[in-house]
Amino acid sequence: MRLDFEFMQETFLLVWSGAGTTLSLTALVLLVSIPLGFYLAAVRLHSGLIISSAVRGYVSFVRGTPIILQILLVYSLLPSLLNAAAQAAGLSVNIFDLIEPFWYAAVVFTLNTTALLTEVFRSSLTAIPKGQLEAGLTCGMSAFKTYLHIIVPQALAVALPGLCNATVNLVKGTSLAFLMTVKDIMAVGKIAASYGYNYLEAYLDVFLVYLILCTIIQLGYAVLEARLSTFRAKL
Amino acid sequence: MLMSIRNVKKNFHHTQVLKDVSLNVKKGDVVAIIGPSGSGKTTFLRCLSFLEQADGGEMDFNGRTLSLASASKKEIAAVRKQTAFVFQNYNLFANKTALENVTVGLVSGHGMARDKAKKVALAALQKVGMADRADYYPAHLSGGQQQRVAIARAIAASPDVILFDEPTSALDPELVSEVLQVMKELAQEGTTMIVVTHEMKFAREAATHVVFMADGVVVEEGRAEEIFTAPKEERTRRFLQYILPEEYAAAVLI
Repeated sequence: MRLDFEFMQETFLLVWSGAGTTLSLTALVLLVSIPLGFYLAAVRLHSGLIISSAVRGYVSFVRGTPIILQILLVYSLLPSLLNAAAQAAGLSVNIFDLIEPFWYAAVVFTLNTTALLTEVFRSSLTAIPKGQLEAGLTCGMSAFKTYLHIIVPQALAVALPGLCNATVNLVKGTSLAFLMTVKDIMAVGKIAASYGYNYLEAYLDVFLVYLILCTIIQLGYAVLEARLSTFRAKL
Repeated sequence: MLMSIRNVKKNFHHTQVLKDVSLNVKKGDVVAIIGPSGSGKTTFLRCLSFLEQADGGEMDFNGRTLSLASASKKEIAAVRKQTAFVFQNYNLFANKTALENVTVGLVSGHGMARDKAKKVALAALQKVGMADRADYYPAHLSGGQQQRVAIARAIAASPDVILFDEPTSALDPELVSEVLQVMKELAQEGTTMIVVTHEMKFAREAATHVVFMADGVVVEEGRAEEIFTAPKEERTRRFLQYILPEEYAAAVLI
């Protein structure tokens, strides 16, 4: 067995064209999931039994089902539902043409990542001593302002390793978006391979691209963690 | 009367921590609350700042009467802006420098302009001898230094009364005096303070009024000299004998 290095080189560059989709999907999902996850974590900790059970149920549902199943479910259910809703509302649009698969992928991964981050932020919020909130209140600040200036920044520093984990998992997880015909890194590699059956070469390319991306992300988080943790005592 | 607190009651589960505690504080008073552990001193103090919700009790403060059990959010916010609290374990904001620890409350709590807050904060840090550590994070300060920053944070907003909850109990013995020194200076300047403390020397020298609490009630109160030299109640006498054995050895012999 011999590897077609020429093909590998060409495809390696080609596969990067999918990186834009992968990264914008990741960025979009994080943009929604980080604030939402923080909010749900705070709700889970401070709300009454009913609301906090609802959050717990959602987290447990997402964690308890394979993501591939969530993708297939959303992709076969959501477009038909939206279409039916559009028709019922008397709109003469074809949802199947109007909404790109990218957006369905965004929905699935947002639901998934939000649930994971809710747990990450819940544990980081409980790591902040109660005295910080009490000090904020006795200084005349509202609970909201104390969260904003004191508790969230500290919790974020604690949450960074978990957040890095979730980001890297998300980048890798979006490779499943090819199931929804989203042209991400994985999909570009698969399509390139299918012309001449150079699957092994294409997969190695995809492998390398993910490795490079995830390494850069981890380095980025390491820098961020060093910056956000300046207030901590050096060990 | 600056602060008049009446009939505070508080239960934790089925334990009555505060049975019926009342206290009057005049402007310029330094009230020391002493007593054995578990007597409810800290809980009483926390009820005044609404860090614990009392089950009953009233407070006249700055010309308004409010319920310690059911004050509105607005009333609570108003009381907290006119008081300050110094905690046993300092509770400095871990992600803020010493200076920011003082300014953040002034700016986001009291609505002070940033420039002015910085000036006020520096003056407060100067007063507790911490101006040269203004840019240090709490993790890089000793316990005594942290507590002095916490006191700067408390005095910066010029509160009508400062509540101290065992401010030296978490400190290493050699760091206690630097904090007590700052508190004595505040007392001499006429700052109104309510201090829960185990430092009998401080209570005796700096307090204008001493309250002895045990088992959720005020057993005895009076001027510092009265309480320390001629306690009327047996319970007070036993406590002082136990905590100041040398000074009371003579009394025991008689």
